[in-house]
Amino acid sequence: MDVNQYLEIFLDETKEHLENLNAQILRLEQEPEDVDTINEIFRAAHSMKGMAGTMGYKRMQTLTHDMENVFSEIRNGTMKVSSDLIDTLFQCLDALEEYNNNIQEEANEGTNDNQALISKLNNYLKASGKGEAVPKESAPAEAAVSSAVSDGAEEKWQDIKLGESELSVLQAAKDGGKNIYGLTVFINENCFLKAARAFLVYKAVEESAEIMVSNPSAQDIEDEKFELDFSLIIISDDTLDNILQAVRSVSEIDKALGGVYELPAAQDTEVVEIVETAEQKPEAAGTPQNQAAPAKAADKKGSGKPVVNRTVRVDIEKLDVLMNLVSELIIAKNSLVSASTDERSSNSGFNEQIEYLESVTTNLHESVMKVRMVPIESVVNKFPRMIRDLSKKLDKKMELYMSGEETELDRTVVDEIGDPLMHLLRNAADHGLESAEVRRQKGKPEVGSIFLEAYQDGNNVVIEVRDDGGGIDVEAVKQKAIDREIITQEQSESMSEKDIINLLFHAGFSTSKKITDISGRGVGLDVVKSKIESLSGEVEVKSKMGEGSTWIIRLPLTLAIIQALMVIVGGEKYAISLGSIQTIEDVSPDEIKLVQNREVIHLRGSVIPIIRLSEELDIESSKAPDENLVVVIVKKGENLAGLVVDELMGQQEIVIKSLGKYISKCKIISGATILGDGEVALILDANALI
Amino acid sequence: MEELKTVEMNPLDENSEYETFQYIVIKLGSEQYGIDIKYIDNIVRMQHITRVPKVADYLKGVINLRGEVIPVMSLRLKMELEADEITKATRIIILKLEQHGTIGIMVDAVKEVVTLRSDEIEKVTYDAKEDKINFVNGIGKNGNELISILDLNAVAIEK
Repeated sequence: MDVNQYLEIFLDETKEHLENLNAQILRLEQEPEDVDTINEIFRAAHSMKGMAGTMGYKRMQTLTHDMENVFSEIRNGTMKVSSDLIDTLFQCLDALEEYNNNIQEEANEGTNDNQALISKLNNYLKASGKGEAVPKESAPAEAAVSSAVSDGAEEKWQDIKLGESELSVLQAAKDGGKNIYGLTVFINENCFLKAARAFLVYKAVEESAEIMVSNPSAQDIEDEKFELDFSLIIISDDTLDNILQAVRSVSEIDKALGGVYELPAAQDTEVVEIVETAEQKPEAAGTPQNQAAPAKAADKKGSGKPVVNRTVRVDIEKLDVLMNLVSELIIAKNSLVSASTDERSSNSGFNEQIEYLESVTTNLHESVMKVRMVPIESVVNKFPRMIRDLSKKLDKKMELYMSGEETELDRTVVDEIGDPLMHLLRNAADHGLESAEVRRQKGKPEVGSIFLEAYQDGNNVVIEVRDDGGGIDVEAVKQKAIDREIITQEQSESMSEKDIINLLFHAGFSTSKKITDISGRGVGLDVVKSKIESLSGEVEVKSKMGEGSTWIIRLPLTLAIIQALMVIVGGEKYAISLGSIQTIEDVSPDEIKLVQNREVIHLRGSVIPIIRLSEELDIESSKAPDENLVVVIVKKGENLAGLVVDELMGQQEIVIKSLGKYISKCKIISGATILGDGEVALILDANALI
Repeated sequence: MEELKTVEMNPLDENSEYETFQYIVIKLGSEQYGIDIKYIDNIVRMQHITRVPKVADYLKGVINLRGEVIPVMSLRLKMELEADEITKATRIIILKLEQHGTIGIMVDAVKEVVTLRSDEIEKVTYDAKEDKINFVNGIGKNGNELISILDLNAVAIEK
């Protein structure tokens, strides 16, 4: 089977399962008794194991398999959830993620066996004294037969999971007085044609027994999709010794281990009648070997490095909407064609069609945007886990509260936002929150709180990272900035508190007294800022000494197309994003007052500074000074400002084009767009103007 | 400074003794300059340029080239010559540079395409300590005429 075509789905799903596991295991730690959580974990681990197996990722499969065993013990209530165990499980998840990344980059899972983790897991299993240990205990009983080695890890047949139907068949066979054995066969690692050897083993076994179950499956063995060993469950009248003898007679077989397969006790009650299936089953398992073609394995390796593209999973309903819109578009095009060929048609019919076309394209755009939108959940879900790790590492007690995970953002933004958020959270945990002792002295709850909140605000999505820690020490920041020669003593005196806090975003700034591996290398916040700005967003910080700080990230909902107000300043056309516009006012020149040498207007009870765009843009206004002013009131966070323009052109949907890095120096211009007549108009960034 | 390094060039005619290079010859006033053809994406007529505020004066603005917004600079202003006088012959040459992306440069006129053999091009060396940016990294001899070969990286680099 060529699995490459499923690689993308596999990677996507594995990621989902990993996220899910991370979240669920965290919950498990808090509510160790919750059956639903355990079941969910079990399901996720199980499907992951299955997927890894199908794709031929043995190491991944082995690890998930062992994890699954642990989960199964927890589910059965025979193992208690301890903090240590959770740690180990998280390490396992990290290892699995590593496999996944490896697969994504190199199309193979890498060579790390993670033996340490597996043996840790097995230790837990042994400690629990049940589960896998049961067949192990039974193994020594059969020691006389199962030559020498009784190491559980080698007798892999004990790990074979049986479905209900198989169990019932085995039960029936057992009741019919037959013996059920498990076999694990190790092929010499120098063996050239593993599949052929396996085939011979199959044949040898089948002379005196029926093969019930094979792990890996007969098909996989035939395709040489196994390492060096495979396990079988067989039904036989013969003794185990004879069967093992037959297996060992095949050359290039290193070891053959076997034992009596104990049917799980719970299945005893299910005495099932169907004997016919007992005959069919082994046949089904056995037939593929007749066509054993070891050569097949070669073509699998030849396939080159798959390029895994980024994908978005799309709700089928959204696709249906898209499909409908496209068909409407075609209809609109057809009517336009007929309208243009039909000479009698009046102009009004033409206009009607254009209006129709317009509404269709608007809807189409909206739907396509929706398709690109994904909830930020996929990014923030890893944070509770991170905070838990940090809490242990820093030895501070903290709790992360998240809300608004369902808020949707463009996929490209969601992919990029993870790192900056992680940075801010680490900062909050490391610098923000005080140690438990200090907190106690201040009369705060010992456990610090970090909040991660996301919500939509107009055309923006706001993500807030808040902590109830000590807040930013403005004096310390100031002193540090002077020490680092970022500002001079004189400058520092005239700076507002806010300006000083903003110095934190300066490159090479770190106030942490000691550098930890969590934060404080001084490459943090400026990177956060530039990353967010590259996404056309902005970051702001509010802080109150002793009460904590809030970091506010504001991101545009979509990147490509916006509704904009077109204005004219000095004969040039500019676009202002509609999302930032509050109102448009007609102001007479004598309403303008001067406050601290800045022009302001008094509007419905608030004083709003005004910015003359003609001055900002270095161009002559085409209006006489005594004419009434057209003022566009724009909003940035809680600040308002009035932009003075010459003329309004109207609202338009514009496609944002980048100006390229060559002209990126102009802060007040966020991009350009191409108007209907082919002319380029610049987009004003109201946020940068305020 | 990296401007003294000549860009890697491909031989166009394998049979000849010397490698040959093709240049588009443009005019700035009375001087002729050559631009390596492999960096040229397009040559377009003068069109409306949208001014961008608060940028260096040699950056004239942006144009729309088939749906892409492309910055345009005046080669004259960049080389600190007199400002452009837009005539019918004025052209915008669209360059695709690895480092700087796509940019357009305004020139007085485009004259012709010439093929020069490597022995017809003389390398120009400068004193590296000199402050001024050197826009020329070679002189080509085409018959009786001299063509200054433009160093496009030096042209595109921001001052």
